Amino acid sequence: MKVVEINDVSKTYHDTEVEVRAVNGVTLSFEKGEFAVIVGPSGSGKTTLLNLIGGLDQPTGGEIIVAGHRLSELRPSELIDFRMEHVGFVFQSYNLIPVLTASENVCFIMNLQKWPKEKRRVRTDEMLASVGLSDRHNSRPSQLSGGQQQRVAVARALAPRPEFILADEPTANLDSKSAESLLDIMEKLNREEQMTFIFSTHDVRVMKRARRVITLEDGRVVSDERTNHSS
Amino acid sequence: MITSIAWKNVWRNKTRSLTVIAAVTVGVFAGVFTMAAINSSIVQRIDTAVNEELAHIQVNNKEFRSSSDIQNFIQDPEAVFNTLEKTPGVTDITGRVIVRGIASTSAGSAGVEITGIDIEKELEMFTLSERLIPGTGSYFGSDTKLNSAFIGEKLAKELYIIRYILTPEAFLSLETIGVPAEVINKLKPLEGERFTTEKKLTGAYAALLSGKEIKDYGMNIKEAAWSYREGSRIILSLLDVNGHQTGAAFRISGIFRTNNDLFEAMSLFVPEDELRTLTGLEEGQYHRVIARLEEDDLTNKVTPVVREALPGLEVLSWKEIQTDLAMVTDYINQIYAIFMIIILAALAFGIVNTMLMSVLERTRELGMLSAIGMNRRRVFTMIMLESIFLSIVGGFAGMAVSAVVIAITGHTGINLVKYAEGMEAFGYSAHLYPTIGADFFIMLTVMIVITGILSAIYPARKALQLNPVEALKGD
Repeated sequence: MKVVEINDVSKTYHDTEVEVRAVNGVTLSFEKGEFAVIVGPSGSGKTTLLNLIGGLDQPTGGEIIVAGHRLSELRPSELIDFRMEHVGFVFQSYNLIPVLTASENVCFIMNLQKWPKEKRRVRTDEMLASVGLSDRHNSRPSQLSGGQQQRVAVARALAPRPEFILADEPTANLDSKSAESLLDIMEKLNREEQMTFIFSTHDVRVMKRARRVITLEDGRVVSDERTNHSS
Repeated sequence: MITSIAWKNVWRNKTRSLTVIAAVTVGVFAGVFTMAAINSSIVQRIDTAVNEELAHIQVNNKEFRSSSDIQNFIQDPEAVFNTLEKTPGVTDITGRVIVRGIASTSAGSAGVEITGIDIEKELEMFTLSERLIPGTGSYFGSDTKLNSAFIGEKLAKELYIIRYILTPEAFLSLETIGVPAEVINKLKPLEGERFTTEKKLTGAYAALLSGKEIKDYGMNIKEAAWSYREGSRIILSLLDVNGHQTGAAFRISGIFRTNNDLFEAMSLFVPEDELRTLTGLEEGQYHRVIARLEEDDLTNKVTPVVREALPGLEVLSWKEIQTDLAMVTDYINQIYAIFMIIILAALAFGIVNTMLMSVLERTRELGMLSAIGMNRRRVFTMIMLESIFLSIVGGFAGMAVSAVVIAITGHTGINLVKYAEGMEAFGYSAHLYPTIGADFFIMLTVMIVITGILSAIYPARKALQLNPVEALKGD
C-alpha cells in the first residue's frame, strides 16, 4: 500500500537573485513499512524533499499525495492538521518542549489529537518503554543526554501512530553508541509497528541499516536502490 | 495542556519574568495607592461637607440665597417639614435662621453668616461639635447669661481672639514633646510676649532659629504658643426683621477647627432662640430647612422628588451647592480612568517587550510546534495565556501590596500637615486615610486581563508569522 506518492515534484526558490532549484522533477513513492533513506551531498535537496513530503513546504511543480491527501489542495491550516494526524517528525536537534517532562513530550501530539486520558497514558508508557526510557518519565529534556532526548523525540513522533515518520538527520548530533542504539529502536518499531520511516542522512550507519537508499544530486534522484539488508 | 505549557513558559526565564512582575507590581501599587489617597481626600471632603456644613438637601426661599435678605424666609415651613418627613430616604430634618452680619472685637472685625440653630437637633444631625478645639470651651455647653456663639478658628484669628504667647507652660509642653533644649533656649527671649497673629509669631521665632529648626519645630512652637482666653466676647451687628440695625454681645462658647478655611472664616453658630430675640423673627420662621438622607448615594434620587413636591421653593442637594465638590465627585471616574490608562499603558509596554523577547527566543521551538501540528489558534492562545499570566501575577501582587498598605495607612492616616495649607484652603483634609472600593479592584483586575490580552496580540502575531521551515533552521 502506497503511503506517499511524489509525482514530478519541483521546488524552486526565488529569494535570492539566483533561482535555485532545490528539488527538480522528483518522482518517488513509499510503501507502508518501508525503512528508506534519502542521501546526497549538502544542498542536494534532501531536507527540502522531506519538508515537501511532510507538508511543511509547498512544491512549485508536480504533486504529492500522502495517505490519499493531495497536499497542494490543502490550505495552510489544513496542512497543520494534516501534519498532526498523518506525519511524525524527528528533527536533528531533537526539538523537545523544554518545559515538559519526557512523558508530557511524548503525550503532546496525542493531547492535540484529543486522545482519551487513559489511552494517552497507556500509549505514553508503551512508547517510553519501547525507547528504553521507562525510568525517565519525569525527566525534563535538560536532564537527559542527547541520545535520550532523541529517543523521546522518536517516541513522541510514533506515539499517535502517524502514517509515516520523517527523520531529518536524526543521528547527526549523536555519538556512535547513541546513534546505533537509536537506530536499533527505530528498526524495532519499524518491524513491530509496521511504521514507515523516511530518513535524510549523511550517516553511513543509517545507510547500512536502510532497506532502500535514494540518492539525490542537484535536486534530482540519481539512484533508488533497494538493498538486501533485512532487519 | 496549552494552559499548563503557557504557565510553565512564564517561568522559563525566572529573572526576566520576575523583573516584569515586579515592575507591574510597583506600577499597580503606585497607581492604586495614589487613587486611594485621592479618593480618601474626596471621601473625607464629602463627609465633611455633608456632616459638618450642608447636610444632603437644603430647602430655601427662592430669593434667599441671592439676596440674603432676612425677610426672605420660607413662608410655609410646616409644609416643608411635612413633605420632607414623608419623603423616603430622609432621616433627619431641622430648620435654620440665617442672617448676614458683622462680628467684631476691640481688635478686629469680619463679615459673617450667623446661623441660628436648634442645638439638640443639630447635635443629632451634624458632627461639627466634634471639631471643637480642646481648651476653647464647649459646643454651647457653658451656662452663661450672655448669648453664646460657636465660631471657626479662622474667624477667631481674624477677630484676634486667638493669640500666641510662649508661656512657661508652652515651653514645658515643647520640652515634653521632645523639642531639643537648645531650640527651647533660643526661644527664651520670646517668653511672655504676646503675638496677635500667627505671622507675627513666625517672624519672631524665625529670627532666632535656623532654617532646619523652623522646618522641624515651627508647627510645634505655633501649637504650644496658641492661646485663647475661654469665654472671650464678640459683638454681632446685623439688621433685624424690620430693617433696623441691631446687635448684641456674644460670649464664645467654643471654637471649631475644620479642614475648610472658608467655612471656618464665615460661619458663626448661635442658638436659634437667641437669634430670634435679636432679629425679631417669629417662632417657626426659617430661612432654610435642611435634611439628611440615609446615605450619600440617595442624593440624586431624593432631591428631584423633594423639588417636585415643593415647587415654590429652592431645593438644592449638597452637590448643587458645592458644585466644585460635586464636579470632583462626578469626575472621579474619569480621574480613575486616566490613572488606569497610565498604569495599564506602562504595564502593556513591559509585557509586549517581554513577550516579544520570549517569542523571538523560541523561534525554533515555535516552528517545531507548528511542524508537529499545533495549529495557529493554539499557538496564539498559548502566547496570550503567557501574557495574561504575567499581567495577572504582577497585577494581583500589586493589588495585594496596595490592599495591605491601604489597610495600614487607612488606619494610621498619612499626615500632610506640612503641605496642608493649600489643601485646607479648599476644604480638603491634611490627614489622608486612603480608601478605595472593592469595585475599583474588580475593575482593575478586568482591565489588567484585557491589557494582558492586548499586549499579547503583537508578539502572538509575530509567532504566527513564523514559517516552520525557516523557524526550524533558526536558533
